[in-house]
Amino acid sequence: MKKNDLYSKEETFFQSKNKIYSAQSVKQIVYSTDIRDFGQVAKSIPCQDACPAKTNIPGYIRAVFEKRYGRAYELNRSANILPGVLGRICARPCESSCRHGETDNGQSVGICHLKRSCADLKPSSHRIIEGLYTPTEKKVAVIGSGPAGLAAAHDLSILGHKVVIFEGMDKPGGMLMYGIPEFRLPRDLLMLEIQNILRLGIQLKTNTAIGSDISFAQLKKEYDAVVVATGCVSPRKFDIPGGNLENVYNGLDFMKAVNEGENPFVGDKVIVIGAGFTAVDCARSAIRLGALDVSINIRKTIEYMRIDETEKYEAQFEGIKTYSLIQPSRIIEDNNKVTGIEFQRTRMEKIDKPPYRVSIPIENSQFSVPTDSVIAALGQSPDMSIISKKPDGMDGVFAAGDFVTGSSDVISAIAGGRKCAGKIDEYLVGKKRKRTVVRLENHATTDRQRSYDFIGKVVMNTIDMEKRLSKSTREVETGYNEDQTHEEAKRCYLCNLKYEIDPLVCIYCSACIDVAPKDCIKMIGNIPVNPDGTYGIYEETDDWNQVLSIAIDNAECIRCGQCLAVCPMDCISVTKTELIEIDT
Amino acid sequence: MPENDHYVIIGNGPAGNHAAATLRQKDKDAKITIISDECVPYYYKPRLTDFIAGEIAKEDLMVNFQDVKDIRIRCGQAVKRIDPDSKLLFLQHMEKIEFSKLIIASGSRARVLPTMSGYADHLKFVTSYTDVMEYKEEIRKAENFFIFGGDLVGFKFFKMLNSMDKTVTIMIDPDAFWPYRLTRDMLEQISENLLKFNTEIIVKDEVLSIDRQNGSYRVKTRKGIEKNVDMVLSFNGLNPNIEFAKGSGIDIDYGILVDEYLKTNVDGIYACGSCAQIYNQAIKSYTTSIGWPNAVVQGEVAALNLLGDHKIIESVGQKYFDLEGVKIKTTWWEDINEDNDA
Repeated sequence: MKKNDLYSKEETFFQSKNKIYSAQSVKQIVYSTDIRDFGQVAKSIPCQDACPAKTNIPGYIRAVFEKRYGRAYELNRSANILPGVLGRICARPCESSCRHGETDNGQSVGICHLKRSCADLKPSSHRIIEGLYTPTEKKVAVIGSGPAGLAAAHDLSILGHKVVIFEGMDKPGGMLMYGIPEFRLPRDLLMLEIQNILRLGIQLKTNTAIGSDISFAQLKKEYDAVVVATGCVSPRKFDIPGGNLENVYNGLDFMKAVNEGENPFVGDKVIVIGAGFTAVDCARSAIRLGALDVSINIRKTIEYMRIDETEKYEAQFEGIKTYSLIQPSRIIEDNNKVTGIEFQRTRMEKIDKPPYRVSIPIENSQFSVPTDSVIAALGQSPDMSIISKKPDGMDGVFAAGDFVTGSSDVISAIAGGRKCAGKIDEYLVGKKRKRTVVRLENHATTDRQRSYDFIGKVVMNTIDMEKRLSKSTREVETGYNEDQTHEEAKRCYLCNLKYEIDPLVCIYCSACIDVAPKDCIKMIGNIPVNPDGTYGIYEETDDWNQVLSIAIDNAECIRCGQCLAVCPMDCISVTKTELIEIDT
Repeated sequence: MPENDHYVIIGNGPAGNHAAATLRQKDKDAKITIISDECVPYYYKPRLTDFIAGEIAKEDLMVNFQDVKDIRIRCGQAVKRIDPDSKLLFLQHMEKIEFSKLIIASGSRARVLPTMSGYADHLKFVTSYTDVMEYKEEIRKAENFFIFGGDLVGFKFFKMLNSMDKTVTIMIDPDAFWPYRLTRDMLEQISENLLKFNTEIIVKDEVLSIDRQNGSYRVKTRKGIEKNVDMVLSFNGLNPNIEFAKGSGIDIDYGILVDEYLKTNVDGIYACGSCAQIYNQAIKSYTTSIGWPNAVVQGEVAALNLLGDHKIIESVGQKYFDLEGVKIKTTWWEDINEDNDA
């Protein structure tokens, strides 16, 4: 830890050692830039680490538990700007990493559902918090009002820059507005959260296409910086014979038509090709357009589908079947109309460079199935033509979101937009104005009870099939009620609480080891530190001559608090750890 | 073969036991372990309905399989995870078991669709010894039944109830043989053949809700049919038991993918029986087989190939099941073209 980083953590610990468990203890807070503290946070709070926007997940779930929904919403918003939206459609990388989902620990916490609860249950008079900086008189043009563009515009505006968003479509939101179906994301909610961003003084110019309505060169000339955040809008070509026939759609165009209120023809039987969220959205939309038999068809196995379990479940619930290990080879037509599709079977093979499993078509394995329409949701790529002419160099031109990374997900796009805003600010003002530190605060209690570990995951409430079909835009998920929210919030292990044993006070009685439900307290000879600051595998030893310390492995600990309760020496401390941004 | 070889078989059904017996026959010295999450020894699953009907005693359910010698059988122990790199199995009670080669013969369990989630708690299944022990007396005492789905076990169970003079309503779901779907002609033929049993048959309808009322169940269908019954049983096909293999690097689709030699994509790991999706060179596709004779042969072939042989698996025994006068192949997918032609 650097000397100028306030005071060292160890000093704080000893100073406060005797006060940690006292109700009257004075809060001791340290802001650390020590790489080991960042490493500890990354490894011990896997949900937050998996979130591209680094949302303080245990922090907001604790606020939800305390029924401080407004606070929980703001904790979310400070990282991901669209909590109500993401609480419905986030790709949830956090849940795949949740400690509660590990072997023997049960199911992961419904993190996304709880995020939605923050938005649903916060008071109507909720106050939005923004830490505004002094105006800079700098002007930034943001091209595209999707999640990346909105996130960049938000942060730039906060930092005092004058921001104008240029949007080619009629409404803002990008893929959120035109790609995701309304039954997953209500448009009034989307517009409300977009409006909360625009309220900062951001000017939105819709129906303004770069190239035709205003040139890129002109933007460059008029603005101090330009952000390209146009996402991925060029669908991958469905390059098989018959791929251009009527009633053969690409997934993006199909969803755009549906979201604009059109009713594209689907017929009774629909074949959807693709393994991602768009494929499922297309299939579920086709059901709502009256199709009776809808299937999703994928080249690899169902394990490789790029969707979460909820989407798989909902698709099955709506009667959509998934056929795997097949790939389309041609569309069968009659008078230029689709009548069927020919597939070829595939099998999985390994390739060595890079090591990966791929699907290989099997020769002479073709078979055909009748269909009325085909929707190919094969992914999309960015439209690079917007910057292809490179007017007077690219100084002051930045890019964010899917335009940079290729097709990803909303939370990644938001994280990309925010990161880009930081870089632009540095470019405009000539210095980095914010930095991330680890905030460490003594915590008097564990905030949990052992009984919480045995609560089953609360299932999201949904509407029945009749209601889904009676109004195609009706939201399928209806959210947790307050009791369900509270129950689900109890399940979070609160991995942001770091448990430590003071080896100088510990008498090595092993009482904590005896009561630990997991293999989380270890007699160790060494704890290696990786170059990125994370801890390596604890080197355990049975040989007392080799024991360096008794230590809690926070990557194994489920924060049950049993050790704290039995320790006769009060030598176990709890520290709340948070990643926060502070001014430089 | 090195002395310390430890062959582990997950599953205590016909595939697992015949794999174990073959391994023992060919390798007298190896350590062989069968791990099963069921708490009973090897038993005849197809005879469960006969047992409920009172036609055979509990003891007659057990398979007296003399060929399984010197084999450690660990019942009631569930495998949670496989780590093929370190050749370790992680059991639910946190024990780790090392293996040198592995055969997965974990079978399947009743398929519960998301559409059933609203009433799944009220459904009973007849897929294991434990199920049957739990419901046997209830089934004997009950008078009115609602059977929903209609796979092979379902029709056998229906006939058993009929022989016990029970009142049965049967709702046939064309998807009960998923991923094979009964065609309209097949459905009509099956319904016609079932009429001789003097039972009420519902087709082209769906269960809307099942509610418990005063010890009985009220079943409502989407088309407005309402039935008060003592028990509701679901026979909607099977799902392979493969959760423990997810994320292990073993290729998985609906079942564990294996080649014609029943080998997975990971060296030294084989799969057989109803948990396996087997590549069939003749039809150039993966098939899932059902039925006791297929499981037995697959177990034997998997064991032989694990020991270095190169036997290609072929489906044996009944090529077709007779489903009330309608022939259905014992392997899925093979019929997909016929289905489309229909």
